[in-house]
Amino acid sequence: MGIRIDPIKCTGCMACELVCSYHRDDAFAFLSACIVVYRAKEKKDYFGVIVKEEESLVIARPEGLEIKGIGAVDEEAEGEGDSSAKPMLLREACDLCEDVEDGPLCVSVCPHGAVYTE
Amino acid sequence: MEYLSSDKIGIIDFTTSEVSEEPLDEELVRENIGGIGITTILHEKYKEDDPVVLGTGLLTGTLVPGSALGVITARSPISGKVVHTPLTMYTGIELKYSGFDYLVIKGKAQNPVYLWIHDGIADVEDAGELWGKDTWTCTDQIRKLMGDDVIQVLGIGGAGEAGSELAQITCNYWGSADRWGLGKIFGEKKLKLVAVRGMGLIEIAEPEEFVSQARSMIAEFRSAPFSGRQGVGDLLAELGHEDFNSWMGPLVHRHKSCFNTPIPTNTFLFLDEEPQLMKESEKDEPGVLVTDPLALLALKNLGLSAKDAGEALKACAKQGIDPYRVALLAQENGKTTLQDLLGFLPEMKASPEVSYVQEIFSPWCPRRPLWGDFGIGSDESEISQWWNRRQAVAYIFGIHPIFALMSPQLSEDKLLELAALGTDIEFDSNTIDKIVGRLID
Amino acid sequence: MNKSHNYTTFYGLSVDILGALGGRGNTSQHDHTKEQYDFCRDHYPSIGIYSGGGASHSWLWFVDLFDRFGLYNVHLISEVEIKSGAIEPLDVLCVSGGDTFRIAESLGKEGSETLRAFVEGGGIYIGACAGAYLPLKSSKQPLNLFNYVDTKIANVTKSLPQALRMHHKFSTPYGCEFIFHPVRDAVELSIGDLPPFYSTASVVAPLYGGPPMIPSSQCEVLATYKCFTDKTVFLVDRDLAAKTVINKAAVVRKEMGKGVLYLFGPHFEHPHYRQANKLLLKSIYWETNERKKGIERARPFSYQPISNSRDFLAQLKRDLSNSRIVATSLEMLPVYWIIGRKVYEPAKIREFLEAIWKRIHRLEKTENIFLKDLEQEYLQSLGSRLRDLVRELKRSIDEGKDTSELAAILFADLNRFSCMFCNIYFRTMMAASTMGE
Repeated sequence: MGIRIDPIKCTGCMACELVCSYHRDDAFAFLSACIVVYRAKEKKDYFGVIVKEEESLVIARPEGLEIKGIGAVDEEAEGEGDSSAKPMLLREACDLCEDVEDGPLCVSVCPHGAVYTE
Repeated sequence: MEYLSSDKIGIIDFTTSEVSEEPLDEELVRENIGGIGITTILHEKYKEDDPVVLGTGLLTGTLVPGSALGVITARSPISGKVVHTPLTMYTGIELKYSGFDYLVIKGKAQNPVYLWIHDGIADVEDAGELWGKDTWTCTDQIRKLMGDDVIQVLGIGGAGEAGSELAQITCNYWGSADRWGLGKIFGEKKLKLVAVRGMGLIEIAEPEEFVSQARSMIAEFRSAPFSGRQGVGDLLAELGHEDFNSWMGPLVHRHKSCFNTPIPTNTFLFLDEEPQLMKESEKDEPGVLVTDPLALLALKNLGLSAKDAGEALKACAKQGIDPYRVALLAQENGKTTLQDLLGFLPEMKASPEVSYVQEIFSPWCPRRPLWGDFGIGSDESEISQWWNRRQAVAYIFGIHPIFALMSPQLSEDKLLELAALGTDIEFDSNTIDKIVGRLID
Repeated sequence: MNKSHNYTTFYGLSVDILGALGGRGNTSQHDHTKEQYDFCRDHYPSIGIYSGGGASHSWLWFVDLFDRFGLYNVHLISEVEIKSGAIEPLDVLCVSGGDTFRIAESLGKEGSETLRAFVEGGGIYIGACAGAYLPLKSSKQPLNLFNYVDTKIANVTKSLPQALRMHHKFSTPYGCEFIFHPVRDAVELSIGDLPPFYSTASVVAPLYGGPPMIPSSQCEVLATYKCFTDKTVFLVDRDLAAKTVINKAAVVRKEMGKGVLYLFGPHFEHPHYRQANKLLLKSIYWETNERKKGIERARPFSYQPISNSRDFLAQLKRDLSNSRIVATSLEMLPVYWIIGRKVYEPAKIREFLEAIWKRIHRLEKTENIFLKDLEQEYLQSLGSRLRDLVRELKRSIDEGKDTSELAAILFADLNRFSCMFCNIYFRTMMAASTMGE
């Protein structure tokens, strides 16, 4: 089960991002959220949502949803394995707010029902 | 000031090139809450230097629905009064998280400068490369220079540089709610733009209760009368202009919300691209975000097609000029085609007479309740009184002014309660009355 | 022993560890300036953290750990200090994760000899992950220079099993064989009843490529892999993972001469595993108690506080803020680089920057910051350079250019910058805590 997004319903309000950061930090601080509104293409009105899961990225582009395995991108790479560790969980993987009543939080705050679980 | 705050007021003096800081005093917040409650005090304190004060509401950037608002307080060039412009979209939150609660900008620079606000640092930088360029180019260049595409840019275009009374402070690529000609003040200070990036953290005094209440309200709003409405067309339809959706419908791409606002109040029109396209457009400038419904209405009333009105909005945004008053002037001067209007833009220096000149809250916001029952009658002066107070409250707490028109649930008591939960400050129940009494004469 | 203890490091600066520790009475080679600070250091073990060639970023976790527990007598060191023997006065040397082969290559024969001398002379070696592989007996060059502990690993194979996921982190070639990593993330260990671990029954710690070791009579087994947790990520099927890992040694202890080596498969220093942190620290306290290196009481502290600390920090903070903003915007981009044999993601840039960022705030609150010689200039110019590099990186990525060379330079500079900053930070905190600030 994971967080999924209907990208067309999204209006980019970032409520999901804010409440996720609260889940991480007990404060408001966008940087720690694992669900993030992608808003770098403002002039083109191209925006979507990305969710970081344990082993994959859920990428909700307006044209469609993609679930991309983290590490799958390195298939063609010649890099051999190494004993270095996972990044220090700067963006922690989504835990579906397992300790929260009527979570996940992002699902509960989206005004348009664009965020759901599957 | 520990909670809902960065505990910092920045004072930037362009005349002396000095940047100084003050903490945000909790007493100041107890008496004046935030937003224009405090920007007005700061403006008064530094009024000798004709300051522009940027600020945010006490609740801006929190989970409270509609808490998107930043504000600019300054003396309007067209009325001489101290007025307020609401900053919506993402500019309010970027300011809130930038490490500053308020920024006082005073004095005049010798040469063009811009302000770069980040992590509680206010850098005054040389704007030689930017002066003379339009707002779109400047936004692109700043984002490229700083390496981040979500930097928010409050800037001026050619109109502000030329000292036009119609000059607007724009937000990134789009028109703002500035009906007061504040772009002219930026121009006089040789301030090309203020770039902001917020990477901070905001503490909440009682996080669990605060968030729980915010979540309840969000849930309540799901079944509010405005639920399902989207964008500029629906807004204008509610105001009695039923034909907007059909007039501009063929150009509508998507609707955009301001931060944490349950209803999207902005609509993106594709002028140069297939509106059905969901993939990223290959065109560099496929269209325009309509952030100013009443300006769009004024342009429509000129007789322009939706596409031409969109082009006009885009041109105004690039120039940094108030499209609403542009439409009025165009009407007055018989410039009713797009070409004529665009040709006349550089000549628009003196503001047309406007009905709102004695007011202090931006008339960019419609003047009556929308999809909401606030228990007021249909008496015009009653509505006007209600509207002024409602705007004041929105600008103090940091609530999107248009959303404030549809959310009776965000009552003054509720907002004060949330403020208390957020900050652990015991506000007097008559604090709002006192502040409003001071602001509105 | 009249060795000069001033060395030019990897960072191009003269770093005087002995000077920082106060030396052993031989202070004539230092400039005595007017203001000196005496303080007693005997209850702070002196700790070196390896951050030179081959180290990844997990040394930051050791920094975090010691910082949290107020152990400020910490020095970031590179292969230069090890090769030259400058680590000799340290109580403890920590080597965390990275590329084991590259660490061995960087240290070379010289480093292997001084490292051995360090431990035999009474030093405590703490190796985690790559740091644990390093001293394990191996026939492969140049690992065979570091055969201090005759214990085998269980995760080496001639024919590599199929990886279920995370292919890029699954295995390393090892001569004509492979070292593979059956699981990652939190695993549960059972604690033996040997000191200094003996007061806990079990502990959870994260495995990120570290070795499951085959117990032998050669060393004491302090902890064994007991079972997997619901957070464990399986890179092979569960049976194979269990066969390879469960009941193997997770932490071993081996005495060598007057000193001792602790080899940790999982990262006991990881900031999210507090219980494991405590066991690690306990080991350090226990061992330093057992074998004091004879560093005596109050020593003159030969650094001078800088007079313009506010300006210095303000500029550093400005550059760091600018770099951090770009690093955050890079985070979600689907870009990665292979530098050496390791995969680097944009998030790693932020990891270094965040570690420094939070410490700048602490430095802002102290009255004096201690820098030496050209450190101030160097750090400031490196700070600006990093800001420019990371901005250039973003621009190049946006323009679709190949950024592997730029990324390699950036990460090298970032490491350099972080090490230098951490050294200044620990030095300052040590002075502040002793001055009662």
